[in-house]
Amino acid sequence: MHTHCPYCSLQCGMTLQREGRRLEVAAWPEFPVNEGGLCRKGWTATGLRGHRERLTTPMLRDRTTGELRAAGWDEALDLVASRLQELQQESGADAVGVFGGGGLTNEKAYSLGKLARVALRTSQVDYNGRWCMSSAASASNQAFGIDRGLPFPLADLERAEVLVLVGSNLAETMPPAVRHLDRLRERGGRVVVVDPRRTPTADRADVLLQPVPGTDLALALGVLHLLDARGLADEAYLAARTTGWDDVRRVAAAWWPERVERVTGVTVGELHALVDLLTSHERVVVLTARGAEQHAQGTATVLGWIDVALALGLPGRPHAGYGCLTGQGNGQGGREHGQKSDQLPGYRMIDDPAAREHVARVWGVDPDDLPGPGRSAYELLDALGRPDGPRALLVLGSNPVVSAPRAAHVADRLRSLDLLVVCDLVMSETAALADVVLPVTQWAEETGTMTNLEGRVILRQQAVAPPAGVRSDLEVIAGLAQRLGSPVPFSDDPEEVFAELGRASAGGRADYAGIDYDRIREEHGVFWPCPSPDHPGTPRLFADAFAHPDGRARLVAVDHVGTAEPTDAAYPVHLTTGRVLAQYQSGAQTRRIADLPDTGAFVELHPSLADRLGAYDGEPVAVTTRRGRLVAPARVVDTIRPDTVFVPFHWVGVNQLTNDALDPSSRMPEFKVCAAQVEAVARAARPSPGEPVEVAR
Amino acid sequence: MSGTVVVGSGMAALRLVERLVERGHRDLTLLGDEPHAPYNRILLSAVLEGTHRPEALELRPAGWYATHGVALRTGTRAAALDLDAREVELVDGERVGYRTLVLATGSIPTLPPIRGMVRMDGTLHPAVHAFRTLADCRRLDEAVAGSRRAVVVGGGLLGLQVARALSVRGLQVEVVEGGEHLLRSQVGPAAGRILARDLRRLGTSTYTGARAVRLVTEHGEAGADVDGDGDGAVGLRLDNGYTLPTDLVVLTAGGRPSVALARAAGLDVRRGVVVDAQLRTSDASVHAIGDCAEHDGRLTGFVAPAWEQAELLASHLSGDDVTHTGSRTVARLRATGLDVAVLGDPEGARTLPGSEVVEVTNPLQGSHRSLVVRDRVVVAAELVGDLSRVGLITQHYDRGTVLGPHEPGHLLLGPPRPPVPGGTVADLADEAEVCTCAGVAAGAVRRCSSLEEVVERTRATTGCGGCAPDVRQLLAARPSLTA
Ligand SMILES: Cc1cc2nc3c(=O)[nH]c(=O)nc-3n(C[C@H](O)[C@H](O)[C@H](O)COP(=O)(O)OP(=O)(O)OC[C@H]3O[C@@H](n4cnc5c(N)ncnc54)[C@H](O)[C@@H]3O)c2cc1C
Repeated sequence: MHTHCPYCSLQCGMTLQREGRRLEVAAWPEFPVNEGGLCRKGWTATGLRGHRERLTTPMLRDRTTGELRAAGWDEALDLVASRLQELQQESGADAVGVFGGGGLTNEKAYSLGKLARVALRTSQVDYNGRWCMSSAASASNQAFGIDRGLPFPLADLERAEVLVLVGSNLAETMPPAVRHLDRLRERGGRVVVVDPRRTPTADRADVLLQPVPGTDLALALGVLHLLDARGLADEAYLAARTTGWDDVRRVAAAWWPERVERVTGVTVGELHALVDLLTSHERVVVLTARGAEQHAQGTATVLGWIDVALALGLPGRPHAGYGCLTGQGNGQGGREHGQKSDQLPGYRMIDDPAAREHVARVWGVDPDDLPGPGRSAYELLDALGRPDGPRALLVLGSNPVVSAPRAAHVADRLRSLDLLVVCDLVMSETAALADVVLPVTQWAEETGTMTNLEGRVILRQQAVAPPAGVRSDLEVIAGLAQRLGSPVPFSDDPEEVFAELGRASAGGRADYAGIDYDRIREEHGVFWPCPSPDHPGTPRLFADAFAHPDGRARLVAVDHVGTAEPTDAAYPVHLTTGRVLAQYQSGAQTRRIADLPDTGAFVELHPSLADRLGAYDGEPVAVTTRRGRLVAPARVVDTIRPDTVFVPFHWVGVNQLTNDALDPSSRMPEFKVCAAQVEAVARAARPSPGEPVEVAR
Repeated sequence: MSGTVVVGSGMAALRLVERLVERGHRDLTLLGDEPHAPYNRILLSAVLEGTHRPEALELRPAGWYATHGVALRTGTRAAALDLDAREVELVDGERVGYRTLVLATGSIPTLPPIRGMVRMDGTLHPAVHAFRTLADCRRLDEAVAGSRRAVVVGGGLLGLQVARALSVRGLQVEVVEGGEHLLRSQVGPAAGRILARDLRRLGTSTYTGARAVRLVTEHGEAGADVDGDGDGAVGLRLDNGYTLPTDLVVLTAGGRPSVALARAAGLDVRRGVVVDAQLRTSDASVHAIGDCAEHDGRLTGFVAPAWEQAELLASHLSGDDVTHTGSRTVARLRATGLDVAVLGDPEGARTLPGSEVVEVTNPLQGSHRSLVVRDRVVVAAELVGDLSRVGLITQHYDRGTVLGPHEPGHLLLGPPRPPVPGGTVADLADEAEVCTCAGVAAGAVRRCSSLEEVVERTRATTGCGGCAPDVRQLLAARPSLTA
C-alpha cells in the first residue's frame, strides 16, 4: 500500500507491506518527490509499532496521590468535557485553550479549529507551526498574496541554473531531496549555501557564505544594493509585475558592500561574486528555511530575499523563483485550515466578514457566534494560568516542553493550569505534566491527508489496525464536541471530514474543493488551489499573475536592525540551534526507535573557541544563557564559525536556552540566535554518557 | 514634539530624521545647501569609477519626505544662527525658527597651499577639482572625458579611491603624498610601502614625502597659461623640484569640520563643534552630530559613527536616557585592485602601554597584516593585501571579544585543525558509519560484492547519495574472494 513517511515536510512516498505480523517499509519509486529514496528515519518508521512505551489507555491524574492512573474512555472524556465547561462557566469561553501541531493531518487540523470555534467557542487556539515556517508564511502573504511553500514542484529545481539555499541544511534534514540538487549540478548548475555552519549541504555546494547568525537580511540588502548600483535589476519585470521597488532600493542604498561585510562577516569579494553568479543566469531559485526564518526579524529576512528574487525577475519564470522549504510534516496544510489563531479554513482570515460568513454557513452556525482572533502560540503558552489567560489547555500533536523557546518557563506555565489534557502516542515530556492523557493512533494506524512543502495534497493510508484501547484524534475531537453540546455534529471519518474541509476552503486562497481521496491516489497528489473536480490542480503559481488583487507582487522595504539579544562581555558567543539527521523535532517519536542513534545533545564548537576555553572534543562544556544552562559533550569541528556554537534542539534542556523574543508579524521566536556563555566543565561534573544534564536555571 | 530644524542634509542628518520619524516626531525641517536630496556620499568614488549608477545613490524616494512630515529644503544654505531668537538665518535673509536645532554640516575639504590653484574670483582653477559632493563628482566626471592624465594630491583613503577610480577610467594617474608613506593617518610604513607597490603594479606612481606647491604650465612655467585656456594642460610643481604635467588635479588632502556657523554664533568650538555625551553644544537647544562634531576631544569623519550619533540623538530627543561613549571605526578602502581594512587606530594603539602586536608580512604575496591586542582584545588592526579573514577579525574587534592566547595567531594564520580520525576510507573500522541516511557501517558494505548488492541489502546510497564515492572505494578495496 502506498503512503508517506511520518516525519518531515518532504512527505516521501513509500510502500508499506505486511510480512506476516511485521510491517515493512519498501520503496515507491514512482512518487516524484523522492523517487523511492528515504532517509533512515523513513526506513525505520514502523519502529514505533508495538513499542512498549505506546500508551493504550487514557490516564487521569489522581487528586490524592498525584499519580496518573488508567481510566476508561468514557470516564476520561466525560471528565474533560465537564471540567472544561465548569472552567468556561467560571471564567468565560477563553478560559480554555487549544494547542495543535504542524504534524497533524489536514482533517485533524481542520476539526481541531472547528472544535475550538464551534464547540468551545474559544479564540485561544494556535499551534506549533509558529515555530516552524511562520515567518516565510507571513512574508509570502505580504509579497505574493498567497503562502504556498514552493510555488513549483520540487523536481523543477533540477533545471535551475543557480540555487541559493538560505539557512537550509536539507542534506541532513531531508536527504532524499538532495537528488534534485545533484541533478542540477550534473547539468552544470551551481548551488550557493548561506549558513553559519559548513553543513553536509554546504559540502555539496559550489559557494558557501558563512554569515554571523542573524544577519541574513543584511546580506540580502547587500545583494540588492549591488543589483541597483550596477544596473542589474530586471527593471522591465519590476515595472510590469511588481510594486515597491523604489522604496526597497533606497533602503538598499545604505547597504554598501563594506558595511555588509562589517555586519555579516561575508567579505566584499564574496558579495560581488554572489551577485555576478546571480545575474549571469536566467533560471535562479532562492529558497529559505529555518536558518533565515527563526528570528525576531524572520519575516523581514524572508522579505529581503524575496525582494532579491523579484529584483532579479525570477518569480513566475519557469525553473526560477522563490520558495520556502517547510519543515514539519504538515507544516503547509497545518497552517491552512483553521488551527491558527487568526485564520479559518482555506487560508481565510478570521477578521474578514466574508470569510466568517462562508465558513459559518458550511459549519451551520451563526457567523456572529464565531470568536475573533486569539493569541499566537508562544503568547498563548505564556498566558496560561495567568489572570487573563486560559485555565485549561488541550494539546494535540505537540510537545512544547521540549520544542518551545524558553522551555522551562513554558513548563511552569503548563503546571499552573487547572486542567492540562494531552493527546499523544507515548508519555512525552508534555504528557507527563498532564492531568489527562489520551492515547491516540499514529500514522499507519489511520488515514488522512497532508500537504507537502510543494503544496501537493497527499494521502497517508491506514495500513494496520491500531492497538486496542487507542482512538484517533478525530474520534477524540468528535467525542469531546458531542459531550460539550456542540450545536453541530463532528464526523470522525477522515474522508467525510476532508469533503467538509473542501467545502469550507472553497473560494479561499488554499482552495481544496476539487480534491478527493481518489484523485490523490490516481494523480500522485493534487496541488492546491484546486477549486473544482475538473480543475487539474496548480503545480506552478505566478506564471501570469500574483495573488494580490492587482496581480502584482509587492517588494516590501525592510531594514536590518540586528538580533534581539546581541552578544556582550558576559555572553560573548552566538548560540544557534537546529536538527540532526537521525532525530525529528522534540524526538518523542524518533528517540523511541531503536534503530535510530540517540546521541543526546552535543555542543558543536570551533577549534579556536575550544582552545580559548580549554575544551576538548567529547568532554563536557556548559552553555549558559540568560534563561538556562546546559551541559553536554563538545564536538570540536572546523565547520562552524569560531564565534558561534550549535546545539541540536531535539533533547530536553536545549530550548531552555533559547530566546522568546518574537517576530512582530509571524510571532516566530528567535530560535536561531541568542547570546551565550560557554565554558569547559571539570571532569568531576561530567554527565552520565549520552545524557545532557540540566544543572540549574 | 515639533520644531526640529537640521542644518545640513547629509548622511547624519538623514539618519537622524529617519529615526525621529520612526518615533513619531513630525514638523521636521532639513536645510541643505546641496541641490540634491540626501544621497550616499561615500559611494561617490564608485560613481566616478563607473561601478555605481549615480541614480542609485539616493537614500529615500523623492516622495518620502513630504509623506513623513519632513520639509526638505534643498539648495538652501544657512548663513547665521540667532541663538537668542532661536532662528536660523538663510543666505536670502529668510529666518527659520526652531525649538531644537541640530548642526550636521559635515566637513569641508582642506585646500592645500598651492599657488595658482585658487583664482582671483575665489573659484578653483578649471583643471583643479575638489571631491566631496555629487556636484564635484559630476564636474570631475565630465572632465575625465577630455583628459589623459591626472594628479591626485593626498594619499589617504579618499585619495587612493579617487586615484584608482580615475585609473580604471583609463587615465594615467600619479599620487602626491606629503607624508612619508601612503595612508599615513591609518597605517604604518610597512603597509604603506605595500600599497605603493600595488599601485605601481596597477600603473599608478606615487610621490611620497613631497608637497605640491604651485600650479604652473605644463612645461613648468608660472604664467598666463595656467588660467586654463589652450588645451587645458597644466603642471603641478612639487617642493622637490619636479613638475608633473597633467590635465587634472584632484584635491583629496583631507577635510576639516564645517564649523563656521557655530563659531560665528559663539558656540564652543575647538576643532569641531564641542558636544557632550548627549550631543548637546554649549547651547542646550542646539546639538551637533557627524563630521562637524567634536566629542571628548575626538572628531569622527566616518559614516558609522555619524549614524550612531544620529541614532543616539534621536533617542535623546525622544526622551530616552542615553549616553554617547564614542565609536569603533572600521575603514575599508573602496578601490578596485587594492585590499585595505583599518580597524581603529593601529598607529596610536600600538604605542600604548600593554599593547602587543601580532604581525604577518608576506612581501611575495604583497600582504601585511597586524593586530594590536590589549588584555587579549583586538583593539586595532591593519590588513593590507589579504582580506580573507577580515570578516571574523572585524567581528572580534567590534564585539571586544576576549580571545584565547593562541587566537590572534589563528586569526592571521588560520585555525588549528579539529581532531580528525586519520586514514582513508578503506581503513575505516567495520563499525564506522558510512551512510548516515540509512545508518550503514563500513563492515556492512564490505560484506557486499557490488553496488547493486549494497543498495539491495543495506540501502546505502539511496537516501541523499552522498556516501556513494565512499561506498565505491570500500568495494574497490575489498579483498578479492576468488582464489
Ligand atoms: C568621496 C567620499 C568618500 C567617503 N568614503 C567613506 C567611506 O568609505 N566610509 C566612511 O565611513 N566614510 C566615508 N566618507 C566620509 C563620510 O562621507 C562622512 O563621514 C559622512 O558623510 C558624515 O556625515 P555628515 O552628515 O556629518 O556630513 P555630510 O554627509 O558631509 O553632510 C553635511 C551636509 O551639510 C551641508 N552643509 C554644510 N554647511 C551647510 C550650511 N551652512 N547650510 C546648509 N547645508 C550645509 C553640506 O553641503 C553637506 O551636504 C567619505 C567622504 C567622501 C567625501
